[in-house]
Amino acid sequence: MLLSVAALILIVPSLLDALYLRVFISSVIFTIAATGTAVLYARLGLVSLAQVALVGVGGWVTLRMWHATGLPFEVNMLAGAIISGVVGMLIGLPALRMRGLFLALITLMGAAGFQILVTGTQFPNGGDGVLGIAVTSIFMPRPLLGESDEAMLRYVCVVAVLCFLLVEFNRRTRPGRAWALIRKSEACAMASGVNVAFYKAWGFALAGFIAGIAGALLAGTLGVLDATTFPASESILLFALTVVGGAYHWLGLVLTGLLFRAAPAVLNDIGVNGHLAYVIFGAGLLHALITAPTGIAGQILDGLTQLAKRRAGR
Amino acid sequence: MIEIRDVSVSFGGVRALTNLTVNLADPVVGIIGPNGAGKTTLLNVFSGFVTPGWGSICAFDTDLLAMRPHQRARWGLRRSFQTEQVVDDLSVADNVRAMLDSLPVTSRSERERQIEKALTYVHLEGKADELGSALNTYERRMVELAKTLVGSPKIVLLDEPGAGLRDEEVDALRQTILGINEQFGAMTLLIDHDVEMIAATCISTVVLDFGELLAFGPTAEILKDDRVKAAYLGIEEAE
Repeated sequence: MLLSVAALILIVPSLLDALYLRVFISSVIFTIAATGTAVLYARLGLVSLAQVALVGVGGWVTLRMWHATGLPFEVNMLAGAIISGVVGMLIGLPALRMRGLFLALITLMGAAGFQILVTGTQFPNGGDGVLGIAVTSIFMPRPLLGESDEAMLRYVCVVAVLCFLLVEFNRRTRPGRAWALIRKSEACAMASGVNVAFYKAWGFALAGFIAGIAGALLAGTLGVLDATTFPASESILLFALTVVGGAYHWLGLVLTGLLFRAAPAVLNDIGVNGHLAYVIFGAGLLHALITAPTGIAGQILDGLTQLAKRRAGR
Repeated sequence: MIEIRDVSVSFGGVRALTNLTVNLADPVVGIIGPNGAGKTTLLNVFSGFVTPGWGSICAFDTDLLAMRPHQRARWGLRRSFQTEQVVDDLSVADNVRAMLDSLPVTSRSERERQIEKALTYVHLEGKADELGSALNTYERRMVELAKTLVGSPKIVLLDEPGAGLRDEEVDALRQTILGINEQFGAMTLLIDHDVEMIAATCISTVVLDFGELLAFGPTAEILKDDRVKAAYLGIEEAE
């Protein structure tokens, strides 16, 4: 399994042209962001609509760190992820009391707040002061291991695998078991002695941490970031596509990233308006809500299991 | 020894429990009464999901109501729910382990030993690695029971553990409940609609009706009490 993924990461980037290299880099980055959304949705049953804003927070901190210190990319990425995790936890605090629609609305307000802030201040690009805005942008260099687009695609893929493993580790240990009880029923979790507030906050922090990684990678790929990349509506779209792709399996999150970034690009490439993707997303969401609660990935995996059974039956 | 003093609970204008005062000391104590008598409300007061407007509960010299729900669990209060709460995508052992995660059991080997002991006690030792979703109703109930038995329980609250089980399964459940005190040292409070179950397992029984204590005493005597028959058994016969 891991070997075949490694082989894919090694081979696929060398087959792509310049346009698709960029498209896939961006798809993988949003696969990482969706991994955080999925932690909350699949493990805790909570809806967070602030994930893309948290990607923005991670990106902001990463750029700010580099312009201020010039430290290696990985250090700045970690700083971005940690701060984004803290912000994610703060946005998630109302989750200790609320769930469902009201929690979703509050996280959306958080995302909208970030949109307003960052539209006003923009991302740091080498200027003075805390905000660090200059008239002509200075680009943050790529990470050493990702200087070409091809290498950068491999780099983001490796980070994505690490993020999957981080989530999987959490799922299989103490936090995962606590999340399972909380998802089942909060009363049951409390009666089991689970500190519900702590493990919910932990879920939000992990989701924010992963969003911060995605933001750092985006900043690392492009060198500068623009406020128009992070409107609140993108957070809603990312959540919806996480449901469409499938929040319960890494395959679903890969599909989410591809739908989010590759689908519009493919449509543009074959001469169709990329906005048509929204129509496809809408149909996909209806499909997921009505027939496929585990998303497209769930359907694919169920299909494969049945195929394997049929083969074994012969 | 559990001393319940003057416990009163009201939801809006409805009094769910009224000045309940009773001392429970036997290893297995039954709680019976018609629907709406306040049985589950009483368990919720124990768990901390409902805060009584008045009264106190002192269990083994500890003021139970002063603690928050998860602290009560760490202290040794265990509970099963009317609808079982087995998680489908965790293994049987992990369902029990999830319970131990939050309890003050230090060493890993001690945790594993307790999980094994609890699963063996409910005869699920061969299913430790199966997923919750693969279990039948009886096995799910037994996982629920195993969850209440790890981490040195002091009080085990069982809310209709026999709901939905077949006769021979209820027999096995009965034996399991009877051994809890000897094997794990915990006192059990059992809510059940099955009078035979109560008669076979509970040494003493509390009868609630409309939130008030109707009767309390040795189970055999209580079940013969005319007021109890009228309030509870009579209604069941009429059904």
